Amino acid sequence: MNALETLAADVPNLKQSFDPTIVFGGLTQYTLWMIIIFAIVCIVVLTAARKVTLVPTSKFVNMVEYGYEFVRQDMGENAIGRGYEKHMSFLATLFFFILIANFIGLIPGCKTPTGSLSVTWALAAISFVYFNYYGIKTHGGWGYIKSIAPSGLPIALVPIIWFFEMLSLLLRVLTLAVRLYGNMFAGHMVLGIFALATSVFIGTAIQNMDLVVSLPSIGWFALLLCMYALETLFAFIQAYVFTILSAVYIGLASAEH
Amino acid sequence: MDASTVTFVISALKLVGYGLGAIGPGIGIGIACYGCCVATARQPELQGRLFTDFIIGAAMAEALALIGFVLTFIL
Repeated sequence: MNALETLAADVPNLKQSFDPTIVFGGLTQYTLWMIIIFAIVCIVVLTAARKVTLVPTSKFVNMVEYGYEFVRQDMGENAIGRGYEKHMSFLATLFFFILIANFIGLIPGCKTPTGSLSVTWALAAISFVYFNYYGIKTHGGWGYIKSIAPSGLPIALVPIIWFFEMLSLLLRVLTLAVRLYGNMFAGHMVLGIFALATSVFIGTAIQNMDLVVSLPSIGWFALLLCMYALETLFAFIQAYVFTILSAVYIGLASAEH
Repeated sequence: MDASTVTFVISALKLVGYGLGAIGPGIGIGIACYGCCVATARQPELQGRLFTDFIIGAAMAEALALIGFVLTFIL
């Protein structure tokens, strides 16, 4: 059988391996990994918090503190501004959870929970409820609805601008969810296809006793390594983008005009 | 045309539509990134603020591409 035909025949199997399947009980593999990552985040942060000292001496505590510093400086101070301290626990939890969830998918055999639309919808819904809650808490219910349109507009323009701002507010939950899901899912699909191509060309070469057929798999493997590096970058960037956008939305909702 | 050909053409057209929808955000994010790079080169001390603004702008431009991505699934 031709190598390309085998590849084309195997792609639906690869696609199927991304579908949620029941592992045990009512858990799909994505839910299972979500619980595992939740446990990892709890263990890492709580162990670091127990050993925390004024001057960090252990490397582990230093690492976790660096991550927290990063969230506080980049997302707290830069994006929210004044009064960011009370949002820090939410933002840091979100950042660490998404970061570890994205990175764990790069280990072969592990599944990234953020590669499933349900998990990202849940995360986006949490963020959406959170910033609306703080908006209503700052401005009051009617005041928050009015503050969606920027102040200082001519009175005739207010309803039109308000409508579009409201639309973009409602679309935030969709874009937050789909951005994370799309990047993670598409990235892992590309990695899977390159890995599949590498193995299919080698397998065909062994079957036909023809070494020349296996030569393209060197190229596929090089591409796979490049994509791995890119995906490592994207795993970080997507966690960063999700958290900073949540921070910006919180800042916009609770800003005092 | 029989039914399977129609389904195939429709699913292919969805992908074409998504590709067309990704052009605008691609150009928009490119322009935003260019502006961020140039501004950072001129005033490196503002880098943090500029990068935050770039991320916000890119997120808004990207929203259109993401809507297109969702529409390929739900249509």
